[in-house]
Parts: sequence; C-alpha cells; structure tokens
Amino acid sequence: MSDQMNPSSNPISRRAILRGAGVTLALPWLESFAAKAGAVGAEVFPKRFGVVFLGCGVNEDHWGSEGSGAEMKLSKSLSPLEPLKSKINVIHGLFNKGAMGLGIHPPQTGSLLTGATLTKGAALHSGISVDQMIASRMGQETLQPSMVLACEQAITGFHESNYSLAYSSHISWQSPNSPVPNEIYPSLAFDMLFENRGSLLNLSILDRVKDRAERLSRKISSSDNAKLDEFLTSVREVEKRVADMRKAKDKADDLAKLKNRPAWSMERPANGLPEDLREHARLMLDLIAIAFQTDKTRVATLLISRDLSAMYYPFLEVSQAHHGASHYNNNDEYERITRWHVSQFAYLASKLDSMPEGAGTVLDNSCLMFLSNLWIGRTHNNSRLPMALAGGLGGALQTGRTLDYRNAGDENRKACSLYLSLMDRMGIKLDRFGDADTRLERL
Amino acid sequence: MLRSVRVTILLLGLVSGASPWLNATNYADAALARTFSPTSAVKKFTVRDEGADADLARTFSQTVRPFVTAYCMGCHSGASPAAGFDLQHYTTTESVIDDLDHWALVLRKLTAMEMPPRSMKQPPEDLRRQVTEWIMAARKNEARKNFGDPGFVPPRRLSNAEYNYTIRDLTGVDLRPAREFPVDPANQSGFDNSGESLTISPALMAKYLDAARRVADHLVLQPDGFSFAPYPMLVETDREKYPIQRIVDFYDRQPTDFSQYFEAAWRYKHRVALRLPAATLAGVAAQAKVAPRYLAMVWQALERTKEEVGPLVKLQAMWRELPAPKGNQPDLAHEGCVRMRDFVVKIRRHTEKLFTDMEAPGFNANFQPIAMFRNRQLADHRRDFDPSALRVEGKAPPQEFVVTRGPTFGNREAEELKMAVAAYAKERREDPDLVVPAGELARYEAAFARFSSLFPTAFCLRERGRFYPITSMDKGRFLGAGFHNVMGYFRDDTPLIELILDENGKKELDKLWEEFDFIADYTVRTYSQFIFNAGEGGGVRRNVDRPSQNEFATEAAIFRLRDQILAKAAPGTDPVILEAVKDYFDRTNTQIRWVERARMDAEQRSLDALLKFAARAYRRPLAPDESDDILAYYRELREKKDQRQLTHEEAMRASIASILTSPDFLYRVDLAPPDLGASAKSAHQHAANGRRPLSDYSLASRLSYFLWSSMPDETLLSHAAAGDLSKPAVLAAQVRRMLKDRRARALATEFGANWLDFRRFESHNAVDRERFPSFTNELREAMFEEPIRFITDLIQNDRPVQDLLYGDYTFVNGALAQHYGMPAAPGGQDEWFRVSDARAYGRGGLLPMAVFLTRNAPGLRTSPVKRGNWVARRVLGEVIPPPPPVVPELPHDESKSDLPVRELLAKHRENKMCASCHARFDSFGLAFEGYGPIGERRTKDLAGRPVDVHATFPGGVQGDGLDGLLAYIRDNREKDFLNNLSEKMLVFALGRSLLISDEPLLDAMQAKLAASGYKTSALIETIVTSPQFLNRRSPEFSQQSKTKIAQQKGGK
Repeated sequence: MSDQMNPSSNPISRRAILRGAGVTLALPWLESFAAKAGAVGAEVFPKRFGVVFLGCGVNEDHWGSEGSGAEMKLSKSLSPLEPLKSKINVIHGLFNKGAMGLGIHPPQTGSLLTGATLTKGAALHSGISVDQMIASRMGQETLQPSMVLACEQAITGFHESNYSLAYSSHISWQSPNSPVPNEIYPSLAFDMLFENRGSLLNLSILDRVKDRAERLSRKISSSDNAKLDEFLTSVREVEKRVADMRKAKDKADDLAKLKNRPAWSMERPANGLPEDLREHARLMLDLIAIAFQTDKTRVATLLISRDLSAMYYPFLEVSQAHHGASHYNNNDEYERITRWHVSQFAYLASKLDSMPEGAGTVLDNSCLMFLSNLWIGRTHNNSRLPMALAGGLGGALQTGRTLDYRNAGDENRKACSLYLSLMDRMGIKLDRFGDADTRLERL
Repeated sequence: MLRSVRVTILLLGLVSGASPWLNATNYADAALARTFSPTSAVKKFTVRDEGADADLARTFSQTVRPFVTAYCMGCHSGASPAAGFDLQHYTTTESVIDDLDHWALVLRKLTAMEMPPRSMKQPPEDLRRQVTEWIMAARKNEARKNFGDPGFVPPRRLSNAEYNYTIRDLTGVDLRPAREFPVDPANQSGFDNSGESLTISPALMAKYLDAARRVADHLVLQPDGFSFAPYPMLVETDREKYPIQRIVDFYDRQPTDFSQYFEAAWRYKHRVALRLPAATLAGVAAQAKVAPRYLAMVWQALERTKEEVGPLVKLQAMWRELPAPKGNQPDLAHEGCVRMRDFVVKIRRHTEKLFTDMEAPGFNANFQPIAMFRNRQLADHRRDFDPSALRVEGKAPPQEFVVTRGPTFGNREAEELKMAVAAYAKERREDPDLVVPAGELARYEAAFARFSSLFPTAFCLRERGRFYPITSMDKGRFLGAGFHNVMGYFRDDTPLIELILDENGKKELDKLWEEFDFIADYTVRTYSQFIFNAGEGGGVRRNVDRPSQNEFATEAAIFRLRDQILAKAAPGTDPVILEAVKDYFDRTNTQIRWVERARMDAEQRSLDALLKFAARAYRRPLAPDESDDILAYYRELREKKDQRQLTHEEAMRASIASILTSPDFLYRVDLAPPDLGASAKSAHQHAANGRRPLSDYSLASRLSYFLWSSMPDETLLSHAAAGDLSKPAVLAAQVRRMLKDRRARALATEFGANWLDFRRFESHNAVDRERFPSFTNELREAMFEEPIRFITDLIQNDRPVQDLLYGDYTFVNGALAQHYGMPAAPGGQDEWFRVSDARAYGRGGLLPMAVFLTRNAPGLRTSPVKRGNWVARRVLGEVIPPPPPVVPELPHDESKSDLPVRELLAKHRENKMCASCHARFDSFGLAFEGYGPIGERRTKDLAGRPVDVHATFPGGVQGDGLDGLLAYIRDNREKDFLNNLSEKMLVFALGRSLLISDEPLLDAMQAKLAASGYKTSALIETIVTSPQFLNRRSPEFSQQSKTKIAQQKGGK
C-alpha cells in the first residue's frame, strides 16, 4: 500500500517540500554565501594570503637584512620595503630539498609551493600548492576561490632537463597533475572578480533549460506533468538561489563600502596586454588589492616574471632579457631587476596597508609572500631561497623580524614547514604538507 | 448454488478460453492489433463483461461478506483490530478490488488454514473454499478487464547508473560524472530505475548542472566536428597532451621493427614446410600484421638483389643462415631475425647523415629558423647515408662528428654529453663493416646508398631531445623539435609514409597532425615564444619588449620581422642560411593562416555537429523549433550585448552543458504520437481502451534502457526512423543483437545486482580486516564481479535460467580463485576465467557465491537468518515481513559466543511468534554454515566448533548443505524461483510495480520460458512484445484504475 503510486495526487505538498524547509544546495558557495550576507558586519576579519614571484633568483650581494623592529637594516635590493619594515619578516635560508639535484630551472620551480618531488617526462606530477590548499579550504566563502595571475605568458613543451616547461611557468597547482592556468590579461582578471562568469553562465544555462522544460510540459499530458513539475521547480529554485547570491554579493559590497572609506574602485582595464610592463604589473596588483579589500577572494598569486623569464626592462636600463641577465646576477643590472620586483611587492603591501579594516589595515590581516625559485642565477643555486613576508594575519604572525635559518640544519629549514605554520595561522591545520611534517621554529 | 456454479464456470471459462459468457468486443484501434499469443488461453481482447462483475458482486454480498462477518470480524475490526487489519469497511466488491494485495494475504492465510486461528471457530470446508475461489476470481476478473494495461509510467529521470552509461555512449568516454551524486532510492522491488522512486530536488539539479559543465570541459573541437577527451581540455598542457598522445599512439601501432619483416619473409620462404603452400607475400604480410609493400621490398633485397659488396651482402649471408622450421617450432628464426635487425640498425646508426646547426655571424647558435632547418635536413635524409662514415683502407680516418651546441646547464650534464659524443664517434670510427678496400670506394658508396634507401635510420621519430643523435636526453620530449628552453614540435616521419603506410594510414596521420595544431594552437604559441624569447634564440636585439598579443601573428607582422632579421644578416652570409630563415617565416605564416581559416570554417561544422549531438542526447530527431532554439542560444552567447562575448569554444561548451541539463536528456518521457501534437484532445478517439502505442523513438529508448541501461544506438534509431521497430520480427532480432552486445553487461549490474541486493557491495565495509586479512579491496572487487560475469555469460549465451541455481560452473580471477581454493589462472592475477567443475570446491551458480555470503553476514559470524532471508525473499520471491522492533541480538562475534549460532536460532522455532516467519527461511541459511563470514569454506566455526550443515526445510524435507538446499528448491520451489525472476524482470523492464493485469503476461512469460528450454531471451522477448511494453496509458485514463502491486499469488 503506498502513496508513491500516485505522485500527482499531492502536487502541492510535494512542491512545498522542495521549496521550503532549508534544502541546502550542493554548491557550497551558494549556501555559505547566503549565511555570510548577514555576517558582513561582524568584527572578525578574513585572513588573506598572497604570493608575488620573481624568476631566476636575486643578486646575492645585495639581498640581506639584519636586526629587528625599528633597527632593522635592509640591503639595497630590499630597500623598497623600508617604510613597511615593522610589518615584514625577512626570512633567510629556507629551501625545498626535493628541488635540488634534479636539473636546472623547471625541476627547481615546479615544486616551489608544493614541496613535491617532480617527475620527468610527459606526465605532470607535482602536488597541491599552498595557495590552492588554502583556497580549497576557504575558497567557498568568497566569489572566487583564488586568483592566479601573471605578467608573462606561460611556456609549455620540454626543457632539456626533461622536465616539462609547464613547471617553469606555473607556481600554483590545483592538483598534482594540473597547474592553475595563469591569467595574464588584466581585463579578464577584472571580469573574474566583477562578473563571475561562472554564475552568470549558470544562470544563462538554467534559463534556457527552464524554457525547454516549459515547452516540453506543454506538449505532454497533465498526468505526466507531475514529474516535470518537479524538474521545473528545481530549476527555478536553483536559478533563484544563484540570483540571490549575486544580489547578496552586491549588497555585501555596498556594506563594505560604507564600513570602510569608499571602496577604492577600479575601471575595467582595456582589452589586450599593456605595452609597458610597469603598467601591467600595477594593474594586476591593483586587482589583487581590490579583491582583498572587498573580500572577493582571499588567495592570490602573481608571477611578475616566470622562471626562464624572457622579459625586458628597458625602463631599468637593462639590455639583456631577464634570464640572460640572471646568468650575471651579481651585476648591477640584475640588482635593479631584483629591486624593481621588490618594489612591486612593496606597492601591493602599502596599498593594502592604506585600507583601514577594523583597528588596523587589510595588510594587518593578510600575509603576502615574496619569493624566488633560485638564489644565485649564474650557478643555479637553490640551496636557499630569498623570501620576505608582509602582514601579520590578524596578529597571529609576529612581524618586524629577520629570521635566519641558514645554519639551522636541513630538517629545520624546510619551506614547507613555513607553509604549514602559515596555514596554521589561517585556521588550516594539516599534519603534513609537501616534504614537511613539522612547523617552522621561531615563527 | 447456482451462483457458485456460475462462478466456477466463469473460472473455468477463463482458464479454458471457451467461456460462452465472454463477449468479445473488437476494438478497431490499431493498438490492439499489437498483441501476443500466449499459450495460456487468456482471451485476446479487452473485455467488458457486466455479467462477470454482477456475479462477483452477488457472491460477495451473499457469501463472502457474511463469512467475513462471522469468522473474521471478531478480531479484525474495532478500534484496534488484530494486526492492524480492519475488515469492516470492505463492504463492496470495489473496495476489495481497491485493496487486492491485502486480500491476497487473506487468500493465503485462508488457504493455508492459518486463519481463522486454530483456537477460534472454524468455517465449514466448502464455505472456506468458496471464499478463496471468489477472491481468485475477483483477481482474474480484474486482470482480464485491464488486460495489457501499460500501467502508469510517468516521465522519470535517468538513474545515476543510467546517467553514467548514457554519458559514456554519448561522448565516447566513460566519464562517470554521477559518481558524486547521492545514491538513488529504489522502488519497492528494489530497482532504482522507476519513476515511483526517482525524484529530483534543487540539490540534485545543481549537481546536474555542475556535471554537465564538467562534461563540456572535455570538449575537443576538431575541423569536422568535435569529440570528447578523457580529461578536461582547459589547460594548455592538456590541450597539447591529447593530440600528441594520439599521434604517438599512432606511431607506436605501426610495424616499424625490421625483425618483423625478416620473420615474415622467412615464413613466406618456408611456407611449404609451414604447411601453407598457397600463401602469398601479401597474405603473409596481413597475417604477420606488417606492411605488404615494404615486405615485398625486403623480400626482394634478401632473395633477389644481387649485391657484391656492402652491408647487404652480409645481411643476405645472415639471412641464408636462418634455420629452417622444424616440426612444430615455427619460431626458430626469431633470434636470427633479431640479430639481423640489430646489424641493420647498427650500420645505419653509424652511417646516418647528420647535420649540425649552421654557423652564421650575427645569429645565435640556438636560432630557431636554423634549428628547424637542421631538423628538416635530418628528416629528409633518413634514407641517405653519410659517405664520410666509410673508411678507405690506408687512408686517413674521416672527420670526427662534433656536437657544436654544448649545454649551458650543469657541468655534470656537459660531461655526460661529451662522453656520449665521444663514444658515438668512436663507434663510427671503429666499425669494421664500414671499411672499404682501396680503389673500391665508388662501388661501396653505391651499395651503401641502396642499403640506406631500403633501411631508413628511423621510420618516425616520436621523441627528440636537444642533442640528436645522442638520444639519452630524449625521453618524454614527444614530437619535439629539440629547442632550448622553449616549446617546439617537429614532424619527422617521411620514411613511414614512403614505405609503410597505405593511403588510409597516410590520411589518418595527416589528419592527426592537422588536428594537433587545430586543437593545441602550437604553431602560433611556438612563434610567440620565439619572439618573446628572442633574447634566447632570436639573435636579434629587441628593445621593444612586448608588442600587443594580437598583432605579432598577423601576416604583415611576421613578414616584417622576417625582413628585419634578414636585413641584419652580415654580408656574405651563406645563402642557404638566408633561405632557411625565409623558409621558417613563410612556413610559420602559412601554418598560422591555415589554423585561422580552419577554425573559421569549422565553426559552421561545429554547429552542425552540435545539432547532431543534441538529437543523440534527446534520443530522437529534433523538431525544427528545437534546432532553431539551440542555434539561437549559441548566437546569444556569442553576441552578448552587455557582457563579455564568449568565444566559439566557450559558446560550444555552454551549449553542450545546456543540452545535458535539458529535461529532454535527463528525463525519459514516453511519448505516444498524439502527445506530440498541440491537441491532446485528439487523443480521445484513440483512447477508448485507455492506451496508445509508443512512438518508435520512445520504444527504442525503452528497449535500450531495459537491456543496456543506456541510450539507443544508431541501429535502433534507424529502425525507429524507418518506423518498423515495433514489428515483432524486428523487435526479436534487435533483442538478440542487443543481448550479444557488451553493453548488455548492464543487465547484470543494474537488474541482477539490484534484484539480488549486492549493488553497493563495492563499498561493503562490515568485514573485520584484522580477523580476515585476505579480504582486501581486490578480493572485494572480485567478489562483486563474479555474479556479474556469471549473469552476463548467461544472458549472452542464452543459457537456461536454472543455471543461476544449479549451474556447476562459475567465473573467477586470481584473487577469487585463491579465496575459493581453486587452481590459479593461466594468465595474471587479474585474468578472469571460467571454472567448469566448481561444484568440487563447493561453488557453482549464484547461491554459494562469496559476495552473497559475505554481504549477508555481519562481519564476525555468519548469519543464517540473513542468508536464509536472502534466499527466500530475493531468490524465491517469498514475501516475508520485517522483524518486529524488539528482537534480542545475536552475539556479534561467533568466537565469543557460548553456543553455536544454530542453537541460538533454535529459539526462533520455540517461540510461535518468531516461528511463523523464521520457519520459512532459517533453514536455508543453516545450510550455508559450511561457509564462513566471508564465504570461505569451513568445517569449524570461529570458536572451533565443528559446523553442522544439516537443515530441515519448510514442509519437513531434510537436507545437508548446498546440495541439500538445491535439491529442496528443485523439488519444491523451482516454480517460485521462475515466477520471481519473471516478476522482477518485468518490473525492471517496465519501470513500475506490477498490477493485477500483469498476471496474464507473467503466465505467458512462464509458458514461453518453459517452451524454449528456459532461455533468458524467451523471457525478454515476451516482455518486449507485450502490450504493456509497447503502449502507454492515454492521459485521460492514467489516473483511473487503481494501481496495486501483484503480490505473491495464492498460498502454498
């Protein structure tokens, strides 16, 4: 004896069931956003994570720091960070053991943020990078789980070390086999934040599907329609939730604008690539800043120059391309390249520091990481990596320090230990990451 | 008395088919012409017989109702009737008809004398009989009235399994997007393919949308349409990987090993001794799977060509030394042929015409145009030889081969390379086969030239590193151009085309290379890297760092750069170099323009392919407005006014995603032709008997989802287009074809695994792996697979269905064979093979399969209750109510219990309340005590007590173990099994629970089954040619007759 036999006997209650009582959706960004819309006024600020990358190492003669706090002395290449030195940590001596001894360039870069040991040949196999790991845990709470940007085109194909050049072109990996493609067009990166093609396209598809369902139901008999009714109701419900989420997002933006000073806004950049690298970099950094400020994303990476970079810096009066110049990295030319990259990092940090948030600034609630895949380009030495952090993660990370691990022993200076410690402070507790299962001491 | 006589005669009439009271009223409706002729004599036409109804009503009020009042309502009425069954409100025949499943229970209890209880007043024998006969007559009457009623089968969404199979067949790739969908609920018969239980919710809808977009991410646009890749094609690395893999796979499939040809030639030479005197060279080539054209050339060289000097002489000598075949050892020549091949390869390696990058002032050593030129020279000279490799006796040794481009990376690699080069040069220098006597150089050169033309240095190059011919660093650089630090691909397969491939092969390979660039856009990207890495390999100083992306690849920009570079060349530069540079730019431009044009041309073809895809996805042709809609949606996406316009590829993906989210794809709607018109009212004239024939397309879907759980294929659809699918001969032929298809495996997994309740076994976790370490994931998988293979084999070879019970064979792989104590497979651990004497190991048929024994055991002990219940309910179809809520637990771990399970279960028999059900099945489970918790054979239980496999079956029959159980079933319950199988299959095929009116069809199925030797195909053919399968209810009648489940028929 069952009422299931006659589903159309109770159409109204069925619809009510579908529509009513908190049916949660599979797409997490929908449900948690609906919850978030109310919570914008809360005093707990989200923590952000950003990475800025310089390819091919630094000029080792001019990269250094001493002391802490107000007395910290920064070397020439790090001098752009002088105004922010109370909010930074300069870290010396960390490395990825798995990136040594395999060959030069791609195998030294592919595992920079993953700590994996790479495989040669056609199949890509790194790991999940720290930024994507964070995005996978926090990403559902924002419009975009992460932004992965670059100022330089990726290259594929193979390097003669027999590692794929994809390892040289990407530092963010969403799965061991798949890097996150870099967005190099500022206009498209802008669209990602302000239009979310994902949900718009979903709406467009749902709209069309609804059309189909309505047409089909006109063609078939009323008794058959009970099932299609169910379908139509479900489509409408999903549509409504997507639209609501977009409205709530806009509402949150408005609220954010009112809370802080007027949200520093940005016009959509022109299509195509800016001719001047300086403008390109600035646009990308501005996008990251505005994305962090308005909480459209909390994770961002920017490759200003990739490994094996072919970029030119006429405005620095450097005649060689980047990679070529790195083979003479202890020259002044390469020092200028290094310092210019650090100045871009400083630009982002100070921009975030100019955005008030609660008692502090957006920078205070973030952690930006500047790093390169090599130490000395001319010898392809990556036994230690140049690294600097900016921001205090809402007080969880002490700043204004020089942290030197050069003599700490290989087990105690793993870059992945740093990543574990940073993730801890963002509320993500893992047992291990990459090649490390211990945290970084003294952080 | 007259009444009961009439009832009896009515009954008899129904049975014998000769009833004078039945008014056979013919309906002209074409649908009724579609009938079947069962051997049971149920009348052909739907009958309206007021006479029968009136009789039943009379007997009810005169006999049945008084009986019930007198003997039943004492307990079965009032505020709390016994067993919750209140007989008071059944005041009319109609009320009984409305509730025939309860009255089936009444029938059974009365017949079995269980009711009225022994302690209560008993009715007279003949009165009891009249009532039971009345109930049976009422059922039969109802069945007759609604004969062939298709039942209410609403539109239903694809189940998860159906969704996966459909995507597999639609895209050609087994993507399984439904992996992450929630598990589908089953209907009452345990199947998840029915509209009764399949519903949709916003959560599931969101998942469908997500899955559709993910499938669309696998889209690969091609010049003539599109296909789907096994992985998403969004990232550049994947967009290269896919077409490269196809080309490399193609190369790897070609016969390019010289030894294969030598062996084939040897087979031809000794064809008489090998008992194939009539063999031809072409025939031998086909059999050995080598290229016939090339084999002929090799044969000519080995047997006919007269050579006096050079390497061919030595090769011919080796050839003549190959042993003749001896008896049944035809492969004697294999080693010799391999030695011959090694000789040829060595000679060619040492005489390869090598080219190095030409040096030119002002041009960097890595300059791409020059590197490409070198590649081209290498590729064009694979059938040439290097004269300087020959050494004339007494003369100075030839020039050393030098690698001019050293690596710029670590010292270790530089050292390795130097050593490799030195070793290679030494080999060439010291090869005795390259020595030429003085004065013979010209003759030797001619001989070497002929030899080299026949034996290329390589047929095709699948990998190339930077330092060719030093190949130690080549691995993984598929189709590489050997550039430094940048991407680059180069096609090097001229000898393959000239010597091996036929016309079709050549076309296929060309198409693969064209599609490589079409899909991965590698020429323009390589060129872009060439420009932006100009500092690396351009040799041209550039101070403008980044021209806008869109402009560098125009024809004007390409030629401008070419001219700039040529202008910078130093005066007196070798014209060959200048030509090489020009050639590079020209070729690049030509290729980029080709890709551009091909992409534009392909857009229209993409859209044509999109419409074809939609028709396949909708499982029927598109109506004109539907095609227009699809194209309009695509247009809308491309021409969006207020947002970013989508590219062609993005719009195609979105269109495909929307097709896969449409109800036309997700739902199976049984359309009958008047449905498709605007007016459902026109259905009236056809609807007199309440049903309409399905459209042929709907029928095709029904057929394919029944037998394959997937979409109809081209053959079915073309029958539907021709309009002949519903013809019985066509249907029968299609059924036979479909059952032989490997997709029929879905019958085993979707029908079989749900019928026998082991669908979710792959995630079965109740086994304690510490106590049973042999229960690995592999063993679990194998256990699941065994019945699937068994049932698939049964269906595809049309074996008798009783094999399911009594078959003395089964199928195992290595893991399962080990578990069963059977000898290992001849193949590997994963090979599946048939075991014909399974009975010797206590196996054979479904019942003793480890999957069921394990599934129906709680982990650390056996469960005769569960196992017995499974046999009774699932296999024999007995209706057994669930246990009451408060039941004392049996011990969790057999080894820790004081009594063996058997004795604990004895309690079931002591307590009457328990016994009433348990007596029906405990014994079946006890017969399996010789199999432990994971189905392993045993003589002692986990506490060390010897097992007792004796059982007393319902009705008092005794037996031991599996054999005893099978004997009992064979002698007493086989009919139940066959009935159950038929019912379950019918439920699965129709996608609804059964009605009373299905009983004649079930009878017909039984009859057909018996008449055919109990073959599965007989069951299936009866189903698909039945009115229930071929028709659907007209809308006006859908709600009318009540739908009731046909329970197990009258008692035993």
